[in-house]
Amino acid sequence: MNEIILMTHVLFGVACVITTVWVFVDVLNFSDANLARVRKMSCLAATFMWLAFLVGGYWYVNFYKTDKAIILKGPWPFAHDFFMESKEHLVIMLLMLVTYLPIAAASNLSVSQDVRRVVLWISGIIVLLALMMEGDGAAIAMGVKMGLLAR
Amino acid sequence: MENPGISKYTTSFGLSLALASVANGLLVIAKESSPTVQAGMQKITGHHWITHSVVILAVFLGGGWLFAQLNDGQGIKMSAGRLLNTVVRGVAIGGLLIVGFYLIGD
Repeated sequence: MNEIILMTHVLFGVACVITTVWVFVDVLNFSDANLARVRKMSCLAATFMWLAFLVGGYWYVNFYKTDKAIILKGPWPFAHDFFMESKEHLVIMLLMLVTYLPIAAASNLSVSQDVRRVVLWISGIIVLLALMMEGDGAAIAMGVKMGLLAR
Repeated sequence: MENPGISKYTTSFGLSLALASVANGLLVIAKESSPTVQAGMQKITGHHWITHSVVILAVFLGGGWLFAQLNDGQGIKMSAGRLLNTVVRGVAIGGLLIVGFYLIGD
């Protein structure tokens, strides 16, 4: 069950990246025809991120203790000290950015290129930060593996 | 400066996002540097990270709502360029505070 919760967290995170890339590309090639899709995909990205956050938060609060102990006793303690510690706080910023995306996309994107630029930048930052979170997650998982191998 | 197309919520929640991002970084430093702060946060919800998340999300959502009420309910007026600049800087400062702290300060 523990592993399924964790994989669900990753799945929702990846879904958030995909939908946000979709928003980025649609805004980059903006026309009135894709305005409704930009707004829908922005809402979907926010939904996926909230689900990833809640599922990941539940796992972190209830199950991470065991993994943390393995990491800290192993050869990669920085997998917790740096990667997990920074990930658990950067993700709050990511959650706010993704929550902001549909708010920004609700502006009249057809009228102003400046407003489209705001959505473009926000979606770009989300994708970069989300990919960084995926990388952090991989480093944490590797820290556990290294800890287990060293036993 | 007024912007055609930009909603008052885009401006107010954008400013709030910048503010909450910096607050997020500062709260990380405060709780990691002071065991008393961390213990207090732990006591409120049972886990310091839950308290941290709730506080920062409250700053973001509350700040966005508050900024939208200013100027007789019309919200803060700002150009899209300046808003974007503020958001990017806020997020960058917040991110650097966190990464920098765990990289060299912790």
